[in-house]
Order: sequence, then C-alpha cells, then structure tokens
Amino acid sequence: MTANQQSNEGHTVKHRHRTEGPEKHIIVFIFSIILTAIAFAAVAAGGVNPAFTIILLLVMAILQVFVQMGYWMHLKDKGHLMPIVFMIGGFFVASTCIIMALFWVWW
Amino acid sequence: MSAHAEHVNGELPHEPEKATLEGRNKVLGFWLFLGGEAVLFGTLFATFLALRHQNNEGPTAAELFSLPITAAATLILLVSSLTSVFAIQAMHRHNLEKLKLWLIVTVVLGLGFLGLEIYEFYEYVAHESFDMKTSAFSSSFYTLVGFHGAHVAFGVVWISLLIAQLFKKGLTFVTAPKVYVSAMYWHFIDVVWVFIFSVVYLLGKVG
Repeated sequence: MTANQQSNEGHTVKHRHRTEGPEKHIIVFIFSIILTAIAFAAVAAGGVNPAFTIILLLVMAILQVFVQMGYWMHLKDKGHLMPIVFMIGGFFVASTCIIMALFWVWW
Repeated sequence: MSAHAEHVNGELPHEPEKATLEGRNKVLGFWLFLGGEAVLFGTLFATFLALRHQNNEGPTAAELFSLPITAAATLILLVSSLTSVFAIQAMHRHNLEKLKLWLIVTVVLGLGFLGLEIYEFYEYVAHESFDMKTSAFSSSFYTLVGFHGAHVAFGVVWISLLIAQLFKKGLTFVTAPKVYVSAMYWHFIDVVWVFIFSVVYLLGKVG
C-alpha cells in the first residue's frame, strides 16, 4: 500500500521535474537558531522563575524538533504515514519511560 | 532491480533514492530503526532525569557545565544538519561534485563536534575529578551524552565510507538510498542533541 503510493508519487515527481530551492531549509535553520538562542538566553540571564524556564526549554526543544523532522527529514511530505507512525510509537514509549523516571523513581 | 543499478548518472530520476523498491524499503526500514533509537535514547534520558541530582558530594551540573562550549557544540551540529540537507538537494539535482563537497563539510563539522566533546570530557575527568564512577549523576551523564557522541562518531565513519563509495561508483540507484538514509541518521542525531542541550546542559544550569 505505502510502496504503491510512494511509487505513484515518484512517478509524478519525475514528470514535473520539481527541484526545490534551499530557501525553506535556510528558514528552518534560522528558526532553529532563534529557538536555541531563546533557550540559552533564558538560562544565561538567570533570575527567571525556574518553573517557567523549564517549560520554556521544553517548548523550544519540541518546536525545534518538530520543524526539523518535518522539513529536514521530510515527515511533512506525502507518503510518510508509516514513518510518522514509527516515530510517534518511539516517542510514546520514550516519554512513558521519562514520565516513569520523573514521577515514580523517588516516590 | 539489478538492471537499474547499471544506469548512468544522466538517466537518474529526480529522487533516485525512491526509484527502486529496494531503495524505498531501505528508507522505510530506516524509519523503523529511528523509532527504536528514539526508545533507546528515551530510556537513557529517563535514567539521567531520575539521577541528575544524586551527585554523591561530587560536582553538580550547575558547577560543571559551561554554556559557551555547549552553545558552540550546538551551533556546529545544527550547521552540519543543514549541510547534509544541501547534500541531499545536490543529489536530487544529480550534482555529484556538490553532493560529495557537502558530505565532506558535514563530516568535518561532525569531527569538530567530537573534538569539542572529547575536550569537554577530558576537562571534567582531569580537572574537575568528575568521572564515570564519581556519582549516579556522572554515570548517567556520561552514558547519555557519551552514547550520543558514539552515534556522532559512527555517523562520521559511515558518511566517510559513503563519500569514498561515491568517488568510486558515482551516484546510482544503489548509492543514492545509502546517502539519503545516512542524511536521515544525521538529522536524527541533531534532533537528539536538541534534547540533550535542553534537558542535560540548560536544565542542569537552572537546577
């Protein structure tokens, strides 16, 4: 099923001769730099409420990962249903482990 | 399939990595591997988060970490992720010279990152008496960050071998999926590093 979808897609792409430019990848890069800078600045400045800083760090990291996986690893493109299922499965088990470690280890 | 392997450069389609069933299967299988890698790193992050305050009277995260070194390592790895995007774009244009050039830049940046990490670990062990056995915090720190560093080292060797193969065989239906998959691996390493600099270094500074 997925293979068929991808081969059809490959077919149309071949006929259109679509060659994407580097622009959107440079935009993703600048976006990543800005998110990273916000995270570092919040910690370097100190004095910011720790609980707020932790949430800010997590939001910046998750945003950056979403954008990079979407554009650089092409997860937002067509024919990536199974890869998305694999990654959501992986992140689901990973976050279960992390939540267990954070809330139950020292209980 | 094997007949496809003999095609010459000019006859490649726009996305040669997806032109054969073998190539598509390789990419799909690699995604399954990356899902497993996410679980692997998830367990290491979980261990680190559970143990990060157990410093056993050794150095704490806030005393140890240096934001400038972390920022430099982050910048190097982020740029190397962008250069591997450029490599894949060059591959889609069938520009073998630019493909090899961007892959070489990626490898050099990967080596730079490794050098910085080795320097950092050396400083901790030699001058801060913070080694694998110091505390539960140190063990989980070296396991998590060292495992990521080992992934970078593996990626550097892997991509170097692919560059050698590109020099020897050029861009074909066989080499294209390998290059594509190695770029996916490299992006994934950068994604893991985003969580490492946020959760290990920056969170360590916050306390």
